[in-house]
Amino acid sequence: MIIIGVDTGGTFTDFVYIEGDEIKIYKRLSTPANPAEAVLDGINKISSDDKNIIHGSTVATNAILERKGVKTALIVNKGFEDIIEIGRQNREELYNLSYQRPKQVVPEELRFGIKGRLLYDGTIIEDCDENEIDEIIQHIKELDIESLAVSLLFSYVDNSHEKVVEKIANKYNIPVSCSYKVLPEFREFERTSTTVLNSYVSPIMHRYINFLQNNLNKKDILRIMQSNGGSISAETAMVESIRTILSGPAGGAVGALEIGKLAGFDKLITFDMGGTSTDVSLIDGKLSYTYESKISGMPIKVPMIDIHTVGAGGGSIAYLDEGGALKVGPESAGADPGPICYGKGSKITVTDANLYLGRLIPEFFLGGNMKLSIDKINSYFDNLAEKAKMTPVELAKGILEIANVNMERAIRVISVEKGFNPAEFTLFSFGGAGGMHAAFLAENLSINNVFIPKNPGILSAFGMLMADIIKDYSLTIMIDEANASYSDIENRFEPLLKKAANDMKTEGVNEDSLNFEYYIDMRYKGQSHEITIPFNKNFVETFHEFHDRNFGYKNIKKSTEIVNIRLKAVGALKKPVIKKYELNGKNLAEDAIIAEKDVIFNDVSPVKTKIINRDNLKPGNIFSGPAIVVEYTSTIVIPPVWNAKVDEYENIILEYKKI
Amino acid sequence: MDVNPILLEVFKNRFISISEEMGVTLVRTAYSPNIKERRDSSCAIFNASGEMIEQAAHIPVHLGSMPLSVKSAISEMELNDGDMVILNDPYKGGTHLPDVTIVAPVYHNSEKPLFYVANRAHHADIGGMTPGSMPLSTSLFQEGIIIPPLKFVENGKIDTKIMKFLLNNVRTPYEREGDFAAQIMSNIIGIKRIKELIEKYSRKTVLFYADELINYTERITRHIIKNMNDGIFEFEDYMDNDGIVDELIKIKVKLEVKNDEMLIDFSESSLQVKGSVNAVFAITASAVLYVVRTLIDREISTNAGILRAIKITTKKGTVVDANFPSAVAGGNVETSQRIVDVLLGALSKALPEKIPAASQGTMNNVAIGGIDERRGTPFAYYETLAGGMGASPKNSGANAVHSHMTNTLNTPVEALEYSYPFLVTNYSIRKGSGGNGKFSGGNGLIREIKFLSDSEITVLSERRKLQPYGLNGGEPGQNGLNIIIDENGNKKIMPSKFNVSVKKGSVLRVETPGGGGWGDSLQG
Repeated sequence: MIIIGVDTGGTFTDFVYIEGDEIKIYKRLSTPANPAEAVLDGINKISSDDKNIIHGSTVATNAILERKGVKTALIVNKGFEDIIEIGRQNREELYNLSYQRPKQVVPEELRFGIKGRLLYDGTIIEDCDENEIDEIIQHIKELDIESLAVSLLFSYVDNSHEKVVEKIANKYNIPVSCSYKVLPEFREFERTSTTVLNSYVSPIMHRYINFLQNNLNKKDILRIMQSNGGSISAETAMVESIRTILSGPAGGAVGALEIGKLAGFDKLITFDMGGTSTDVSLIDGKLSYTYESKISGMPIKVPMIDIHTVGAGGGSIAYLDEGGALKVGPESAGADPGPICYGKGSKITVTDANLYLGRLIPEFFLGGNMKLSIDKINSYFDNLAEKAKMTPVELAKGILEIANVNMERAIRVISVEKGFNPAEFTLFSFGGAGGMHAAFLAENLSINNVFIPKNPGILSAFGMLMADIIKDYSLTIMIDEANASYSDIENRFEPLLKKAANDMKTEGVNEDSLNFEYYIDMRYKGQSHEITIPFNKNFVETFHEFHDRNFGYKNIKKSTEIVNIRLKAVGALKKPVIKKYELNGKNLAEDAIIAEKDVIFNDVSPVKTKIINRDNLKPGNIFSGPAIVVEYTSTIVIPPVWNAKVDEYENIILEYKKI
Repeated sequence: MDVNPILLEVFKNRFISISEEMGVTLVRTAYSPNIKERRDSSCAIFNASGEMIEQAAHIPVHLGSMPLSVKSAISEMELNDGDMVILNDPYKGGTHLPDVTIVAPVYHNSEKPLFYVANRAHHADIGGMTPGSMPLSTSLFQEGIIIPPLKFVENGKIDTKIMKFLLNNVRTPYEREGDFAAQIMSNIIGIKRIKELIEKYSRKTVLFYADELINYTERITRHIIKNMNDGIFEFEDYMDNDGIVDELIKIKVKLEVKNDEMLIDFSESSLQVKGSVNAVFAITASAVLYVVRTLIDREISTNAGILRAIKITTKKGTVVDANFPSAVAGGNVETSQRIVDVLLGALSKALPEKIPAASQGTMNNVAIGGIDERRGTPFAYYETLAGGMGASPKNSGANAVHSHMTNTLNTPVEALEYSYPFLVTNYSIRKGSGGNGKFSGGNGLIREIKFLSDSEITVLSERRKLQPYGLNGGEPGQNGLNIIIDENGNKKIMPSKFNVSVKKGSVLRVETPGGGGWGDSLQG
């Protein structure tokens, strides 16, 4: 059975599959109106046999961003109907006098309050009223509401009231998302927001997946990528669609982890630079997760791979502001009009600056299929340089330096601010524009190695191919460490384990390949920010250590509390074997160097630089900068102070020359 | 050295990055819900003469006042490498007592400090006559422990005598100790990062661009002011009362926009009052700085450059520049909001297409303390409540959101009920409270808390008498409303500011003001 990874992230829909021991790639234009068209077309082109498909979809993400989810109602406790709108009372922009909240997903008239109230310890001080609930749901049914979200206070302690609502909703055949299922964790706004968003997009995902399944072979297996870096069955994805948000970048991180591991690099900072933005994430032997994501201004508290995005990319626009500073981004020329050199643009972008310095080679850009108008950019650089009182070369270098500083800031957020020293990591660069910046960025961060995988343009789809089946479970237990022994806490995992074992069976995971990872969220008593640590016999010590690393101090005398327990169920899938080549000679083949060009690096004057065709590089080849490696979808700039080698998996690894 | 536009932008990013990292460290490691969940804290970097270079944007009310703390600290004592100064005295660079500032010098193979870093955090309790240290006081001495600039850390070691003394004077010493540690850690991170910057770029370059960033912000500010209508614009508005004497308090501004400068004169405001709504000059400066910053619609370094393009005049002994030892607990939170309202009111004539109607104009401070019957331990809780934002010439005001001088997060109901003997019985948007208009004002909110132990409540609020104004024909927002329902169900409407002890089973209901509308609704 052929395994295919499909990513519908951007302009192109990417397919990666294994044929024999070869990794094969297929790319075609996406069909944004119905992404399934491109997906099905590609799959049919690849094989008509039975297939195992792992699909990263943007259907749920786009439904939220464009507010095109279904008409959704919300049931909460009476008197708390507006928590979803009040949020945390703060505004996202401090100095904006015309600030507006993100557009509400559930309008005021579709939020309903019911009787029934628990205390923090689960004591029921008011019971719910089934008749009242029945009436509300009948009313909802009459309003043609397609989906219902339920989020009651303290439902993570006792879910009986939510279950009553669920039962009645089922009676009326209304799809329902309950917070005790979606996210049984404390902090009502975040839990409600997550539940509502799940409710808002699940019916859309349901339709999308049904359409795909109806057009696939009966025996084809369809799995959907999640933001936690694992896949789930299509059936689960239809009801837990919120877990598929931002799964494309998650695929990239999984791809980086697997390829890096194979090549002997397990401490990575991933760097995916695109046209308008750049995604970065940190891998310290394993993926980093966050429980505090937001989409379109609304929190989603399901675990996601911690990917930080900054508005700097190839299309970022450079300009001189009234105060005399050179700015780069966050405004982007995007795909249309795009950079000046693409023909239509009229504002200098990062891509133009790379071209101006000779780092982007027009005749090899997209295999030479897209003409870059180099003549057009000169006058723009002359004009802006004159205004900035510098030479055009200084201007171009400055634009790239500022873009790099913006991206460096993003990397510092995920590394330095979390207690990691970036110098101990390898910069793993993928995406189209990353290779032109990676070495410079690495120097700024004192990083000695840059890793550019084979086929850097389809890493997300590749990651999907490599993804395990992963399901996350959590529960707020809120107990003092003083009142809880290791085995007490272990016991609290029981219901989660039972559910996980059951679910994984349904997912088709057999017991031999099933693994459980145990985590707990802890904090010093009185703090209100938890950190997630692996659960072990010495969990208190582990907590102090993690706190020390994350925040620079620990206090072993202070008492701690356990807020949440977390269980990660991992069903290991058989990974495709990636072909390993013999290392041949160090010297480049004759046809590898295809040109010599003048390129400007750190000095002002140009340096003669060899242009290398990546397709003609062989495993084992070693060469030194200055050099530029071109391939169909990316360009790798190797400054004079860097060496490069091709490893046995055809990855390119840059090393800073030790002087 | 000539200013290089590239390095200018690079250094702007570097300094922002450092102050943000200081902020992350402080918020993540602190103990007070005020600092952690509500982010009532700020971090900033200063040059050797105490001028602010960059501040991480958390809370506007700290904007103009942090530099005065730093100046006060450095004028009082010599700071060696490894030393840090603590202070909260409003008359020596502080604002109100719960806001504690810690200042540290940055040395780098130098005889004298090259920079200073500082952070300020609102502690949940700093002693004084009522829990939460936001009392209806008539003198500073009632509001908590007054900390003059003191060397709290010497040569890298915390002065345990000072620590012990401070902890002995507050209600929840355990939390305070953690918060102080977080503040110190935040400065240590700031110092470390600035040193790294100097190592990378040289001392001369870093010092040069630090000053140039201030010049840069000044140029941008002047550019913005230059595009405003010149003229003299006056505006006045009133505060309900001072919590002790029931009389309106006038805040009046005369704004002169002259080419690329603004002269802002508050000297015709009321004399200082008996109650705690007096503002020290630092607060007035913060409010002005905030307003000017909102006029600059782009990412700039918020720093001393803004102040160079404006001149603030106040008269000593008025409610906007009070004398020691006037009570000031509420000046920081309430008077600051009204100063913003009147300055925006005046600006609406110079920049009619930009300025919104009045927002709720209060922070609705609620402080509650007592003994938690469930655990037998004392508790002190403080929160502020959001309200309606004023409508702008572009759109309606947002509902139930913090406006202007504060932007703190709420405490989730589920966190609140776990930690305190409270039952929240209503938390919703107060429909219809925003003023009508072509664009309507945002609605306020309703917060109702039932007490599960006997409690002492202090409320410091505004706009219970006079409404937040509308603009350009828009109607004003609704007044706020404070209500106590006692354990027998008797309902009593309370004034803007009050302190009361209630029995278990009583309820506090606060309805916060709506924002003013903008434009005539009939001409919609």
